[in-house]
Amino acid sequence: MHIPVSEFLGLLNLNWQIIVMLLIGGLLIYLGTARNVEPVLLIPIGIGILLANIPLSGLVDEGGIFAVLKKAGIDTELFPLLIFIGIGAMIDFGPFLERPYTVLLGAAAQFGIFGTFFLVYALGDGWLHLMNFSLKDAASIGIIGSADGPTSIYVSSVLGSKYAAAIVVAAYSYMALVPIIQPPIMRWLTTKEERRVEMPIEVKAVSQKTKIIFPIATILVVGLVAPKATPLIGFLMFGNLLRECGVVQRLSATAQEELADIVTILLGLTVGGMMVASEFLKSETIIIFVMGIIAFALDTAAGIVFGKIMYLASGRKVNPLIGAAGISAFPMSARVVQKMGLQENPQNHLLMHAVGANTAGQIASVVAGGAMLMLVPLFS
Amino acid sequence: MLTALWIVLLGMAIIFAVLGLLLAMMILLNRFMKPKKTD
Repeated sequence: MHIPVSEFLGLLNLNWQIIVMLLIGGLLIYLGTARNVEPVLLIPIGIGILLANIPLSGLVDEGGIFAVLKKAGIDTELFPLLIFIGIGAMIDFGPFLERPYTVLLGAAAQFGIFGTFFLVYALGDGWLHLMNFSLKDAASIGIIGSADGPTSIYVSSVLGSKYAAAIVVAAYSYMALVPIIQPPIMRWLTTKEERRVEMPIEVKAVSQKTKIIFPIATILVVGLVAPKATPLIGFLMFGNLLRECGVVQRLSATAQEELADIVTILLGLTVGGMMVASEFLKSETIIIFVMGIIAFALDTAAGIVFGKIMYLASGRKVNPLIGAAGISAFPMSARVVQKMGLQENPQNHLLMHAVGANTAGQIASVVAGGAMLMLVPLFS
Repeated sequence: MLTALWIVLLGMAIIFAVLGLLLAMMILLNRFMKPKKTD
């Protein structure tokens, strides 16, 4: 009797690609557990990669749990939107509302998205044809510069990019690397004198009514001008309204904790489950990761350059470093700005200004995602 | 590439337009909604 051992023994189906993916899964779990690098995400993603790449497990096949989760949570855009309720409930827009001018830094820092999009498209179908990058792929890769995992997932899945898994992993990985990517660019683009500029800690407080009206008004403003951004901004601001209205503490707490935690587990596992060897191990993946760094670097540079313009326009009252926080990697980039400000001048507490720019970046990155979703189909 | 350039220019224009409106809205809110002492 012939027993087809290779059809039920996973070991016999191993190849180098699968081994590489198992190692990548192991590396992410190691970084999360031993190095405390974004553990909340890297551990579920790492386990997802391990499970998805075990030969013959059937998890990614039609009807397998990862296929079901992808269909239910990513293809429908459900997971990123649910995560946004949690993020909205966690963010205090107070520092932003107290310093409205920081909104411009958030806007400028989104140039990384569009600059990277332009470069990727030039490498792909736009000019050089070195890579298989269509306009939609280029937009999805550029959106890594939103420094915001859920926005990256949302945009790449709506645009139907074939590189969604690599894009999402790059977006989340580089969030953890913000303290490494940003400081050299910040030093390079600013002078010692600019970095030493002190900014006032005390500002005019905003009313609770303003904090309640803000999310509703933002939905209307963003939704009516850039309707494609409505799902993201709507869920983000819904979460924030739960936080600020003061009458649904239980819902706010649930959004911040249980909901965010459950969706993070499912999202992490699903993203890991999308990283099967045949889909992930391509030369394009390496380019996507390189472009991710470029996107973060361009974001930072654009924010600082705009900060320098504000420094000059304000009569040297604005410290250009806070422009680096216009990238929406909340709250990492604000901490990086605070740290560098203190290194240059121990009396210089830039944190709240940087948090303002940081939360502005959160809104701006969502608007940038909506702009991409609006413009790319128009030109495709 | 001209298509991509248009997307870059229009994209940044949309972002500044939307966030400019938000800035105006925040300035108005801050002007007309003064915090109470309990805030």
